[in-house]
Amino acid sequence: MTATGRVSAEFGAAWNSFLRRRTAVFFTFFFPVILVLIFGALVQTQPTGGGLFAEPQAYYIPGYLATVVLFTPLSRVGSEIARHREGNRFEKLATTPLSRTEWMLAQTLVNVVVIGLAALLILALMVLVTGAEIPLSPGILLLIPFVVLGVTVFCGLGSVLGSIADSQDGVIAASNTVALPLLFLSETFVTPELLPDWFGPIVNLSPLTYFSRGVRALTYEGAGLTDPTVLTNLGVVAALAVVFFVAGAYAIPRTD
Amino acid sequence: MDEVLVADDVRKEYDDTVAVDGVSLSVGTGEVFGLIGPNGAGKTTLVRALTGTTRAEGTIRVFGGDPEDADEQRVSLLPQSFSPPARLTARELVAYYGGLYDDSRDPDAVLADVGLSDAADTWYENLSGGQQRRVCVGVSLVNDPDVLFLDEPTTGIDPAGRRSLWSLIEGLAAGGTTVFLTSHSMAEVERLSDRVGLLADGKLVAVGTPDSLVAEYGGESRLVVRPERSPESAAEALSDASRGFDLIVDGDELLFRNVAPTDIGPAVDALESAGIEYDALTWKQPDLEDVYLHLTGDEFGVSERPTTTAVADAADGANDADDTDTDTDTDTDTLGAGAPAGSGGDR
Repeated sequence: MTATGRVSAEFGAAWNSFLRRRTAVFFTFFFPVILVLIFGALVQTQPTGGGLFAEPQAYYIPGYLATVVLFTPLSRVGSEIARHREGNRFEKLATTPLSRTEWMLAQTLVNVVVIGLAALLILALMVLVTGAEIPLSPGILLLIPFVVLGVTVFCGLGSVLGSIADSQDGVIAASNTVALPLLFLSETFVTPELLPDWFGPIVNLSPLTYFSRGVRALTYEGAGLTDPTVLTNLGVVAALAVVFFVAGAYAIPRTD
Repeated sequence: MDEVLVADDVRKEYDDTVAVDGVSLSVGTGEVFGLIGPNGAGKTTLVRALTGTTRAEGTIRVFGGDPEDADEQRVSLLPQSFSPPARLTARELVAYYGGLYDDSRDPDAVLADVGLSDAADTWYENLSGGQQRRVCVGVSLVNDPDVLFLDEPTTGIDPAGRRSLWSLIEGLAAGGTTVFLTSHSMAEVERLSDRVGLLADGKLVAVGTPDSLVAEYGGESRLVVRPERSPESAAEALSDASRGFDLIVDGDELLFRNVAPTDIGPAVDALESAGIEYDALTWKQPDLEDVYLHLTGDEFGVSERPTTTAVADAADGANDADDTDTDTDTDTDTLGAGAPAGSGGDR
């Protein structure tokens, strides 16, 4: 069996397991929907005022996408690792040809598909429900690598959290603690102008910041395929994806 | 017989706890090695060390090399308390794990082996506990391994299913598969194992064939009688008619010690001639459980052994006698030439 075959087998098992957890499927897609409905349709934006949600609707697309790119992989991969540990599944897998990297890749691919679908749902709701105007240019295709690489980053981080936490409850608590600050302090919903000057460098420490900047350039500013802002941020997200993927794969436990 | 598994002075510590302490053993091709011991004795840790899923001090060789470098195609493990993804069907689970190997068996054939053809399309979480464990055993067979580690494989399986799996394991061993088995079921270990190792406090305190261990550590056979009258008065009444039987009083029971099967009739005759009525009479042959209790220091004093246990033991003894017959054959066939050089004996 090739590595492709092993990843395919692991992907199939993980995908079917996910699809058959109906509550998990429902809330994975309901979460971004309710966010868009509450903030995009109910609260709406106030372009002439100040404070939160003062920008046009399309400005917040990176924020809504970030909710699924950030939260879902963190909690899903972390919980999956906790389930594997509790069921001694890693001990079994350690005696098979499946490597940690292949396991990590399969889980990441499952999340890419799930979050890709959720991202499409968010974009559709933003356009149809909130009236957000997304510039359509060839550059919009770069949303795909941004989502794929962003998911990879947080799958890796989820794996690390899952390996550190000793239970599914611990994983959820840890992922929420990590995700909430990242979500609001990564130029997603809160504009840089609303933060104190000294906080600027700290924002740059968040991987999600580069995702937001790149996605915003594509979906709000209409940047093209060769836009330096887009490519720079895509490069940073790609580098972080490699680092977090390797860290996540390395963190996967065997038995101890 | 080639040595497939070799452990030499293996030691594993967790913080201040020594889980495995200087264990040395070897297991040959097609041999079934049973590992018994109390909870926390280090059995699972030793299995993990042998499979390379935990690092331990000392030397471990699987197929002559480091366990972490062993060909995964040739090795399989059923971990203790293994719980695979719950919302896959039995067939999907076997196919999933089979998909991780270069070559794997047909999932339906594997499920037939473990007696689950009728439940192939049932989600794992909807199977009974015994069926779940049989799926897990099936998962461990999917790569047709040369070495199979089974950590308490029949936990939760009903007697019929257990015996079915025993037959399956016997068939695997007959086909040349080396099996390293841990279990708390002495009947299981006694029936399946060519050799047995007893682990206590991380140390391998005895290794040998089931028969040799029983002969050395199992103690004597005994006839247990529960008289209607007090056992003391029964013993006194028997003093003239006991015909030289070695009698002791144990609680509300009377024990005839060192009673061979051919002595049971004369003992019953002695009871009748002394006019002793009794509620129950059971004959107990020493078995692996007696060895276990003796060597782990968990042995009840004779007077402390519950009466119901004595009866139950006798019932088990009847079953075990059947099993022992099988084991005796097995011993004759495999152990004489089967035990790897230098691997037998205590410690």
